[in-house]
Amino acid sequence: MMRRSLVRLRGRRGRLLAVLAVLGPGLIAANAGNDAGGIATYSSVGARYGYDLLWMMVVITISLIVVQEMAARMGIVTGKGLADLVREHYGIRWSLFATGSVLVANLGICISEFVGIGAALGLAHVPVVVSVPIAAVAVWLLLVRGTYKIAERIFIAMTIPFFAYPIAAVLSHPHWGSVGKSIVAPHLETSPAYVLLFVATAGTTITPFMQLYLQSAVVERGLGPDDLNKERAEVVTGSIFANLIASFIIIATAATLFLHGHRQVNTAAEAAKALAPFAGRFAEVLFGVGLLGASLLAAAVLPVTAAYVISETFGFERGVSRSPREAPVFVGVVTALVIIGAVVAMLPGIPVFKLLVGVQAVNGVLLPITLFFVWRLSASAELMGRYRNGRIFNVVAGATVVATSALSVILLVVTVGGGL
Amino acid sequence: MPRVLHLSLILGGELVGRAGGKLGRVDDLVVRLGDSGYPPVTAVLARIASRDVFIPGDAVAEIQHGQIVLATDRLDLRPFERRPQEVLLRKDVLDRQLIDVDGARLRRANDLELARLDGWWRVVGVDVGPRGILRRVVPRRVAPRIAEGQVLDWADVEPFTGHVPTVRLRIPHPRLKRLHPAELADLVEAAGHAEGEEILDAVRDDPELEADLFEELEAGHQREFLEERSNEEIASVLARMETDDAVDLLTELDEDRRDAVVALLPDVQRRRVETLLGYAPATAGGLMSPDFICVYSQATASEALQRVRQSRGPAETLEMVFVMNTAKRVHGGITLADLVRADPDAVLAEVAPIPRTVPLDAELEEVARLMTDYDLTIIGVVDDDQRLQGVVTVDDVLELVLPRGWRRRFSLDDE
Repeated sequence: MMRRSLVRLRGRRGRLLAVLAVLGPGLIAANAGNDAGGIATYSSVGARYGYDLLWMMVVITISLIVVQEMAARMGIVTGKGLADLVREHYGIRWSLFATGSVLVANLGICISEFVGIGAALGLAHVPVVVSVPIAAVAVWLLLVRGTYKIAERIFIAMTIPFFAYPIAAVLSHPHWGSVGKSIVAPHLETSPAYVLLFVATAGTTITPFMQLYLQSAVVERGLGPDDLNKERAEVVTGSIFANLIASFIIIATAATLFLHGHRQVNTAAEAAKALAPFAGRFAEVLFGVGLLGASLLAAAVLPVTAAYVISETFGFERGVSRSPREAPVFVGVVTALVIIGAVVAMLPGIPVFKLLVGVQAVNGVLLPITLFFVWRLSASAELMGRYRNGRIFNVVAGATVVATSALSVILLVVTVGGGL
Repeated sequence: MPRVLHLSLILGGELVGRAGGKLGRVDDLVVRLGDSGYPPVTAVLARIASRDVFIPGDAVAEIQHGQIVLATDRLDLRPFERRPQEVLLRKDVLDRQLIDVDGARLRRANDLELARLDGWWRVVGVDVGPRGILRRVVPRRVAPRIAEGQVLDWADVEPFTGHVPTVRLRIPHPRLKRLHPAELADLVEAAGHAEGEEILDAVRDDPELEADLFEELEAGHQREFLEERSNEEIASVLARMETDDAVDLLTELDEDRRDAVVALLPDVQRRRVETLLGYAPATAGGLMSPDFICVYSQATASEALQRVRQSRGPAETLEMVFVMNTAKRVHGGITLADLVRADPDAVLAEVAPIPRTVPLDAELEEVARLMTDYDLTIIGVVDDDQRLQGVVTVDDVLELVLPRGWRRRFSLDDE
């Protein structure tokens, strides 16, 4: 008797939010890719080559959509996370290997996100020892004490600061004609630096944790086959939104740093500072705000993803909505990543750049494996039945997987081997 | 106590002929589920000279760690064909989820334990602990030294078999009936889609349990599992649910299917559901429960009590027995306490006073005020002709007028 009226009252409010309710895992997963490392990469793309590399954002967007759609579809149809399926279909060894890599990679990226948070607030002269612990506690409370629904809403809210980038791009008065031309008529180069930046951009935009998070979150949200088309639309919108933001970062830096010969940018905060003389103090603030939102979002998504993967692999209770008592391992992994990430990020003089190189190396190994699993599993008739990849889609997906994997292997060779 | 064998150490071992000649490698073990007790090994799958070979159980003389000895030297090389109720331990059970019935939760099979019982090798347990995993990743020489880990008795688990091609004829999961509907619902929510279906399938022959399970499922998951059912199947679940829960479930359904499903409900339930669906939620019509007792005014107190005894409605709706005339208009109501205290032979028309009632469109506030003013725990809801349509009970009203913060503190609100 009690439940009926509650459901009804809730139902009315639900209809008002119907438009927003579509937003969720797809948007979050794609935008978590625009993290501190991503912003640094996009900034250097713009600073180094101007608008020249903008065309690739189109290619990357399509690849991202293809990959994310498969992961979302698998989550919806099977009701299981990717790590669940890998354990069941590829055995314990692959499963342990992938889980170990995810843990290392996510921890590394997580550290870089807290560094990003510190740097963003550092622009406003907030010392790291203040900003990072506060951010860590906030992220931890959200993940451990909140329910999935609340966490999801806050994640979505964290993407709002991303709108700072389009504004910054407009403020920097780009030459829109050149922007359009570089997308339609790509300027290709074979110089090592050009190729390397291309590869780095692809690598930071399509990362393994995005598929892992998306699939597990879709499962925790309890979506069923009826929601498939809605979720697809969300994946497409999320991916386009995320890459539009990335493009605006490139445009903003291209219109200022590139134009004025400031060609070297190593971190996102550096990009923000470099922007100020050309586009004004306000542009610097906007860049800082965007960086803060991006780093916070990723700092929350990464620990959750690692916890999903470990719980799925070993069969522990899982979910953002679970209490520490219900899911001790899940909460333990989240806690460990947040604490280690924050503490390491506060150490004075940590070699952020070297750390990112190391993380990129692990991701370079992990991405081809993850994508291969995503591709093969979503094509499996036994697993997916009538929801498996269509014939043509499967070829496109295969090509995407191979191309993306090749890029990440190149990046791995370059970063570990030290230059082309 | 028979020696326990670990599946992980049997797989990949040598297949040895009776004379001791090495023939090939052990690939998988076949067991038969479905009978009560521990499932026996019915066959061995092996690779001999890069061919997959099927070895029936009666050709097996000994199963040990690292090797399986055959009872014969001659093998007729037959390809493997699944017989009903057979599953492959490595392919179908290992690394997959199964239900720990005692703990009412899902576990993953990290290793399987076998032992010789009643003269044959059988699966006796599942290793769900870290040692089971460790044993499978360390070098083979070290592996046997890893002691038994956290093992569940096979008698306390139910494996999922929905993914096994020939087992589609459904192996019953009798142990699941030991679980409470709420526990089953938790399992369905935690499991993957196919596994959830399997749990629901397992309780299907017990429609009451199935309906209870559906009542306990969270809204999103109700929809997940209703989508793939036919309208008839949904109607048969709804028919057995409490009316208000049935209505909740209907609202989860696509609007275009709703009417078709309602039309398939048995008459009584259909009318109740239609009534509840038709009224605005914060009015008497939306709040009311269609479960009530209404007797003709010539009935005696003992006859009315008999109706109460036979009733299956929730206790709170039985707080008052209503009295109607032959035109079905309500003109009396007697509380359960007064009814018990009344002379068994008393005619209700004489002992039941005129009850307070509200019209269908009465607002929540009005209902709450009346119930407070007249100290009522139950109030009748009547249509324009004074016919009783339902009752609003104090718990329904209390829940809506309770300040928000209170509800959260006692965590009745699950948001």
